[in-house]
Amino acid sequence: MNRSAAPGAGTPAFAPDPGTARPTKPRHGAMSGAVVVLLMAITLWAGIGIQVDLPAIVANWRNATANIIQLLQPDYGFFFKTVPALLETLQMAVIATAVGATISLPLAFLASRATNPKPRLLLGVRFIMNMVRSVPDILYAAILVAVVGVGALSGIMALVLFNIGIIVKLVSESLDGEDLGAQEAALATGGSWPKANRAAMLPQILPSFASQVLYTFELNIRASTVIGLVGAGGLGILIDNVRSFFRYHELSLIILEILVLVLVLESASSWLRKKLV
Amino acid sequence: MAISTTERPRASRPVKPTSRLRTTLWLLVSLIVVAAFWSVKIKWSTLADFPAQLIKYIALMLIPPDWSQFGEALNATILSVQMAWIGTVLGIIISFPLSFLASKGLAPRVVNAPLRFIFAVIRAVPEVVIAILILSVTGLTPFTGALALAVGSVGTLGKWGYEAFEGVDPGPKEAVRSTGGGTLALIRWGVWPSAAPDVFSFWLYRFEINVRASAILGLIGAGGIGKMLQDNVQFRNWDAVGMLLLVVIAVTMVIDQISGAVRNKLIHGTWRAPRLAS
Repeated sequence: MNRSAAPGAGTPAFAPDPGTARPTKPRHGAMSGAVVVLLMAITLWAGIGIQVDLPAIVANWRNATANIIQLLQPDYGFFFKTVPALLETLQMAVIATAVGATISLPLAFLASRATNPKPRLLLGVRFIMNMVRSVPDILYAAILVAVVGVGALSGIMALVLFNIGIIVKLVSESLDGEDLGAQEAALATGGSWPKANRAAMLPQILPSFASQVLYTFELNIRASTVIGLVGAGGLGILIDNVRSFFRYHELSLIILEILVLVLVLESASSWLRKKLV
Repeated sequence: MAISTTERPRASRPVKPTSRLRTTLWLLVSLIVVAAFWSVKIKWSTLADFPAQLIKYIALMLIPPDWSQFGEALNATILSVQMAWIGTVLGIIISFPLSFLASKGLAPRVVNAPLRFIFAVIRAVPEVVIAILILSVTGLTPFTGALALAVGSVGTLGKWGYEAFEGVDPGPKEAVRSTGGGTLALIRWGVWPSAAPDVFSFWLYRFEINVRASAILGLIGAGGIGKMLQDNVQFRNWDAVGMLLLVVIAVTMVIDQISGAVRNKLIHGTWRAPRLAS
């Protein structure tokens, strides 16, 4: 109907011959230059702050060779002593993932624009979640060890807090990207927001939720080998012990165990992810 | 086709298909979780007085905040952030060329495979363990902490890098090839322009990770947040720990906001100031 939009109608709408000159590239040289200078300045400031000292490293290489030779010979006999700690690391990761996922799911619905109609509540939940996420897991662990005592329980709690931060962020972001048609339909039939979300949104995000929980589990395995350094159970306690006595044969066995554990669980979880999603 | 009016639609819902494998997997996962709960050595009774304890310690830490510790807490946090920055910069410098070499189609398979394996191994080892290895070589300074973070960053940056380079649209790549461009031209004109925003974005993301990870390195002597934490938790100086907690939360949130704004600028081209709770 619209004649002017029809191609070939009226005068030919050809641009004049542009010649063979290339279009000029838009320049923002000054801006990029300023950014580079700024980044250099920050790097210089940070470098001075942490006292970058390359000569010292070169000088220290000589006394390092002995340590490295020790590290390359893991003491396999030490394995049986590590089994309880290894089990504890696994238990902590599994329990923390399960608890963290259970707590995170409703929170994620509250933290997503798509599923939470109350702007104030939304902002509040998001702000608290940002706070929870900004504390490193080791800081949680150190404080909780003081509150609850040494052992797996404080470790599990620290990991749960750490997990809630991660899972809520990931799941609420995938909720933001979902299709809202089914939810609208559920609301139109008179369903309340929680009911509509449960019926329409939950089934949509379950597959991605499952894979995000698996990803968190992998993170937990890594984290649960570390938080023991402050006394929160797991392999970290062992690492701390052998490290203080410079028993590098045993340390390298623990590192090998972590490596095998993480690689095995990563391949298992990627297989599981393919099956579930 | 006439619509038959004799057959009324049945009011029953279609049966949901079930997959036996999926059911088995769910059972297995539940079983593992139950087993972990059942076998872990925890006195669950301690949970009963946990809320009271928690409130007590929060009061010790934060009521009132001890501003005399503010300077030390800020210095410790800044040192950790500096460690994270240098670690990220070094990690970028090392991983950038390597991630091109690990991309299929930009380098021979013989080069791809070992690099990918190295990235995977690095990703499997926690940064603290890397730091312990490095400290056995050089002793422990903030700089060594940064080196540990750099090595850890290479694992993730390398992987994300080759994934980004392999995922770019084949069109521009083909265009470069068709005009006779070599591998370097292909990278410069066919791959880099498309991948750049993603790459910058995960560099920022890794910096955020490193800020959090640098806290741990202080525990084994690299200085910064971890060191202050250990010094004060040991002697139960709770007001100092509380101040540190406040400063860490504030600084980390500010860094996340800045990097979120920069990420928006890189991807969408606007400085959309992110809201405080975005």
